[in-house]
Amino acid sequence: MEYVFSDAVKEVLAKRGLKEDDVKAVIDYAESSKDKITDGKRFIAKKVIGDLTVYADYSVDGGKAVVNAGYAHRMKILDIVLETEDSEWTYVKTGAMIRKGHTNLTFMGATRSGPSLVEPASGESWIEEYLAASALAAAEGLFEQKRA
Amino acid sequence: MGYEELFPKNDLDGWHANAAKRFASPFVDAPHDRIDVDPIILSHAAVACGYSIRDFYEKPELGIHCVGYISELYDLLPVTHWFFSLPWVTELGITLEYKETLPPVSTGPIISTPEEIEALEPISKEDLKKGWTLPQFFNIYDYVSTNIPHTLVPISYGFDICGASSELVGVEEFIMYTFTEPDLAHKLVDTYVETSINGADALSDKYGMAMLIVGSVLANNDIFADEQVKDYSADKMHYYVDQCFRKGAGPQVFYHLCGNHETSYKVFKDTLVWSPFNVLHIGYSGQQTFPVDVLKSEFQDVTTIMGSVDTKLMINPNPAKVYEMSKQSLLGGRDAKKGFILGTSCETPPYTIPGNLLAMTRAARDFGTYGTW
Repeated sequence: MEYVFSDAVKEVLAKRGLKEDDVKAVIDYAESSKDKITDGKRFIAKKVIGDLTVYADYSVDGGKAVVNAGYAHRMKILDIVLETEDSEWTYVKTGAMIRKGHTNLTFMGATRSGPSLVEPASGESWIEEYLAASALAAAEGLFEQKRA
Repeated sequence: MGYEELFPKNDLDGWHANAAKRFASPFVDAPHDRIDVDPIILSHAAVACGYSIRDFYEKPELGIHCVGYISELYDLLPVTHWFFSLPWVTELGITLEYKETLPPVSTGPIISTPEEIEALEPISKEDLKKGWTLPQFFNIYDYVSTNIPHTLVPISYGFDICGASSELVGVEEFIMYTFTEPDLAHKLVDTYVETSINGADALSDKYGMAMLIVGSVLANNDIFADEQVKDYSADKMHYYVDQCFRKGAGPQVFYHLCGNHETSYKVFKDTLVWSPFNVLHIGYSGQQTFPVDVLKSEFQDVTTIMGSVDTKLMINPNPAKVYEMSKQSLLGGRDAKKGFILGTSCETPPYTIPGNLLAMTRAARDFGTYGTW
């Protein structure tokens, strides 16, 4: 598969300290396993790489994967604690409707919950970019400093 | 002379270092001495430092320094806050006036026709910067950054979304609209919410983060059925926090449900956004403080919870009663999965009796010391 990273996407990846190869690895895994969610236009997939959960937000155009965004979080995903309503997303692997909800996340010995997209039957959760890049990143910083 | 010259420095290595570890305890799962106590001190801090209630609100830098200073006396939170319940409304046209014994109050409604409501527009981020609320918060946090930086947490307030919106037309008129013209009531609330989101966006731009404080005060069971509390308050609170997060605010959120939430508490769990750093506080169930066992069983999976001592008791010359109520709250909530804070059911009154605050922290030491249960 050919991968397309725009200059803008490359710049954001660099700011987030992410490698293009890691995002490609997420896409490779998602395309081979169907372990990804879709809103009909784009896909979100995740893969644990080292201490990070790396995400690829991408679209498939012919044989090309056009990367819309790449992001990551250091908090590890645990169990779903709450599901509330249907989202516009579907789990490609099973066809199940993805729900909005909350998931327990653990980091540096602390377990707290955060907003997520969830698939209750499989127990899978996904964190959206806006959360991973801002609120969760700030939370990880607070955990590291042991402050609130 | 600046206000900073009126106060000795906090004991940074002693009190503040310890209080900071305690404050972080429930969020980072690192228990440190005892459960924290937060009586939501506002103008009491000014009164305790020899100033007036009006001084607290009219001189925000003085007010917030009083909070940072007096918290050491009572061994409370290591962070500062300053607010009143009507942020962002001046930009929407309301005039506020200072009072001797109250926070600033509206001089009256500014809208009287449906056409005026329909014409309302949220205030943009750029216009908020030229307004009254946002520059005031910038001044306060800049003052704190310079003079008491160890207490700084930039906070943006949605506060009482429903109550603040209602001031535009008057509370009674607003309540009537919720029954007779719900679209107009929603328009009022939505205008205020979007304005508040823009305020949080501007604050997080400047400080890199912004804790959020948002509540449901007017929308409670004394006024509304559960369905209306959800429609006019819980759903709007969800939207406010979700949008603020999308603009870079958070991750800390303090949810304050004041007034009677006897049954309406049930609409919040599945509706609110729960972040890794949030606290939920519910003041009352009927005329009684909200039962801590219900607070714990319903919400402990998703948030740190804050139990309550009735604020009425804080001006009652009976510290033993405050101690007993604190004890009961601590025994009921101290083992909550995501942590517990002992609070008062709303802002502790300006003329709170210091002996009653001591009763709360004494109870926290006696029944909230980690490792003793």
